[in-house]
Amino acid sequence: MKIDIGLADLIRISPMIAIFLASLIPLTSKLFNSNKEPSNLITLIQGLGGLIIGLVLLTVVGGSGETAFNKALIFDSLTLWMGIIAIVSAGAALIMMYENFSTNGNQFSELVFLALNSVVGMLILVSALDLLTVFIGLELMSLSLYLMIGMSHEEKLSKEAAFKYFVLGSFASAIFLYGTSFIYGTTGSTNLVTFMQEAVGLVQTNRLFLFGISFVILGFCFKVSIAPFHAWTPDVYQGAPTPHTAFMATAVKVVSFAALLRVIATKALVGSDGLFVVLQWLAVITMLVGNLGAIVQVNLKRMLAYSSIAHSGYILVGVITAGISDKGFFGASSVIFYLFSYCVMTIGTFAIVSILEKSEDHLVTLDSLKGLASKKPLHAFCFSLFLISLAGLPPALGFFGKFYLFNAAVGEGLIWLAVWGVINSVISVYYYLKPMVLMYMTEGEAEIAGHSLNATTVTVLASAVFIAILGVLSGPIFTAVEKSFIN
Amino acid sequence: MLLSTILFLPLIFALIVLIWPQDKTIRHVAFGLSIVEFIISLIVLKDFDASSAQLQMIEKHMWIERFGIQYFLGVDGISLWLVLLTTFLTPIIILASWNSIDTKIKGFHAAMFVLQTAMLGTFLAIDAIFFYVFWELSLIPMYFIVGIWGGARRIYATIKFFIFTMIGSVLMLVAIIYLMYLTQQASGHMSASLLEFYKVKIPFVGGSILNLQSLLFFAFSLAFAIKVPVWPVHTWLPDAHVEAPTPGSVILAGVMLKMGTYCFLRWVIPLFPDAAEYWAWLFLSLGVIGIIYGALVAMIQPDIKKLVAYSSVSHMGYIIVGMFVFNHFGITGSLYQMLNHGVSTGALFLLIGMIYERTHSREISKYGGLAGVLPIFTIFFFIITLSSIAVPMTNGFIGEFLILLGLHKAQPVYVYFAVTGVVLGAAYMLWMFKRVFFGEKGELVKDEKHPLKDLSVREIAVLVPLVVLVFWMGLFPNHFLDLTKSSVNHLVTNKNKYYLEIKE
Repeated sequence: MKIDIGLADLIRISPMIAIFLASLIPLTSKLFNSNKEPSNLITLIQGLGGLIIGLVLLTVVGGSGETAFNKALIFDSLTLWMGIIAIVSAGAALIMMYENFSTNGNQFSELVFLALNSVVGMLILVSALDLLTVFIGLELMSLSLYLMIGMSHEEKLSKEAAFKYFVLGSFASAIFLYGTSFIYGTTGSTNLVTFMQEAVGLVQTNRLFLFGISFVILGFCFKVSIAPFHAWTPDVYQGAPTPHTAFMATAVKVVSFAALLRVIATKALVGSDGLFVVLQWLAVITMLVGNLGAIVQVNLKRMLAYSSIAHSGYILVGVITAGISDKGFFGASSVIFYLFSYCVMTIGTFAIVSILEKSEDHLVTLDSLKGLASKKPLHAFCFSLFLISLAGLPPALGFFGKFYLFNAAVGEGLIWLAVWGVINSVISVYYYLKPMVLMYMTEGEAEIAGHSLNATTVTVLASAVFIAILGVLSGPIFTAVEKSFIN
Repeated sequence: MLLSTILFLPLIFALIVLIWPQDKTIRHVAFGLSIVEFIISLIVLKDFDASSAQLQMIEKHMWIERFGIQYFLGVDGISLWLVLLTTFLTPIIILASWNSIDTKIKGFHAAMFVLQTAMLGTFLAIDAIFFYVFWELSLIPMYFIVGIWGGARRIYATIKFFIFTMIGSVLMLVAIIYLMYLTQQASGHMSASLLEFYKVKIPFVGGSILNLQSLLFFAFSLAFAIKVPVWPVHTWLPDAHVEAPTPGSVILAGVMLKMGTYCFLRWVIPLFPDAAEYWAWLFLSLGVIGIIYGALVAMIQPDIKKLVAYSSVSHMGYIIVGMFVFNHFGITGSLYQMLNHGVSTGALFLLIGMIYERTHSREISKYGGLAGVLPIFTIFFFIITLSSIAVPMTNGFIGEFLILLGLHKAQPVYVYFAVTGVVLGAAYMLWMFKRVFFGEKGELVKDEKHPLKDLSVREIAVLVPLVVLVFWMGLFPNHFLDLTKSSVNHLVTNKNKYYLEIKE
């Protein structure tokens, strides 16, 4: 096999190169400054600058539909949109890291280095067309993340979380690789393009291939916390510093779903009824486990962790829809739009949690929200807006996300999944209302962190504005996403 | 632009109230703004063409083109009076809340205005998704009104209210999406417009619940039945009513319950005529059970507010029964009863709120002999009681009479049970009246240290418009019914192939 790398390939991966180079700046400047930590603000600006350059480059070079590096990477609409969502979410998480007690301070330059490298991994993941490239992206993303969590200034829970995440994440990677090896054994290739056409037939005739593709999908189910592979999520989300939790719940989840969407797009579900049925049940079980689990939580971050599991269930409905659809890209677009809306509200919610944390060891329980509305009316209002949106109530953005998602499901005849989805929305209302009850309807001494968290508050406000406005204006956005696939 | 103005003006008012700098004058500002809204809504009444059954004053713009979802507003004889009821009750409620809401005044008035937009949107929207946005939006301000300014068990009540209502409406969302796909099959392009929905022929097979039209029918009906509320899904209502602050109870009884009944006329019956006809027995039975059950339970309530709450269940039963006989009398009566109930039950909650502000108790047993102490209050209460028990010359009589007449024409068996509600209604209301206003002076009334004051000028100003309406609607029903006649006729005659035309 002749491998030649042209300039075109390098141009196409320029976003990754740019972000990687930017990640080196804080580290090198620390090195040249006799290992003295540079000002956190400068580091933050360097990190954000790298992300912004990456974002600009991605919008310029991504989305053309062309491949690079001998079809190992593809730059199509999925890469473009998911990449944008991931980079923007990562940027918001960086801002929160700058002001959170457990992440700011004297290792911030290393943290930014790791975060940006994690983003590079994400960009590889969303553009990967070869299962081994997927693996590289997955590992680069996750390894950086394990370290980031372990670096928290908090002493106990974060270490446990990092270790748990590492062990279970490695487990998931192993399952993924195991599946990949079976696919290689049956098709002679690990590239999705090569077996894309035959996948429908292969899953019917070749059990080993079916085994392989199922394991690849299960590996992703670990990553995006689909029940029953979700058990790590609450512990890790709770133990990790809140900005990292936001990072995991948004950017990591988005890109993992993007890669899953690519695997599903081989139409393996159309060929195998068994896999199709199992995935549907997994979606239903995930929604139920997430929502029922969230009801009994008293720790706010744990509750949000379960809520994110439930949202994975909703998104899986969209992924399944995209996987069986032969009517264009409605399903995939609805998943992208849902992930976008989910990221906006989740970033906002965790930003609020980050504001509420008074020290690195502070566990924010639901009770600490009591009376927030009279102390900090603006924060309470924004938080309510996020919760309303997470619950999927109109006219917030979350409603339109759900509407497109379930609309696609009904369009493909998966009405029962849509019904399960809306029933779960009702269950979720119960725990999403709880913080609102505590903030507005009970007396208490809720306090936010002593110093002013201006940048985080700006993140909160920006998310709130997006949620309030973009829902009503969602039509053109959705059409733009869908059209970009057709071209 | 008129309907858009009416619809979104309250939202702007909410913002004005929120940024208004002076705390002292917020009530005055809010009251003034709500009056402005009412006056503008009177223009709709003036411009309304009573001779036409078409959809009038429409405003139609594409909103989400991908799914054919439109910004689509229109008014016809069925929604006209409900729009006016909403704009009419809001200033009254704001005036009545003058003393009873004394914390977070800004938030309260903002929530009230947002709620007004949501309710008006529910009545005016002719596009399913557009409608659904307002339908769900109405839950959020009401949730806060009950939860923040309510009584002791307010949190339980408000969460119950929210979740009950939401259970119904999410299934309706799936049904709406399904209907959108049916329009795509029928006409080639997807649309969420109600007018397109009307054109779809939905297959119906009698005798089984598992056919498309029946399933869609129940998905919609459940949402509206919970809102009405129809027995046996009424249990959120007494809790919400008792715990809500007076203004919340008034808006809940006055307008929000009508959102459910209105939607039966606007959505369920025209969209699913076969299923509605086939399952009419179910709704007639539930309605009649609601009438009798509500009345019997009301009778034994020790709490005045709870008594009125259960009387609502009973009255709403009449409205359901009237709609499901599908004749002119029944549907006209139902529409009329919606307004009556809004006026008289709204007024009852206001009166209860006034006495509660004075004594901080709603226990019937602690009252007695109130007539001698508060004569003006007693007179108002008596008039509204008469209206509530449908004495001739008051508005209640017209509505209940028309419904019973319609029911007798269509399904005489049910009448024998339904009329007992009239008797029972008179019994519990008059018995309550006797216990509260006559006889020995109760412990709250004879308390020498805290003598009770009769109604203030502001309180009289709150009640007078309602009393005027009670007699106006009772004596000259045609002033109101003339405007709804052609729409109701159109619905009754074309029920099975309903369509709405747009008046240019």
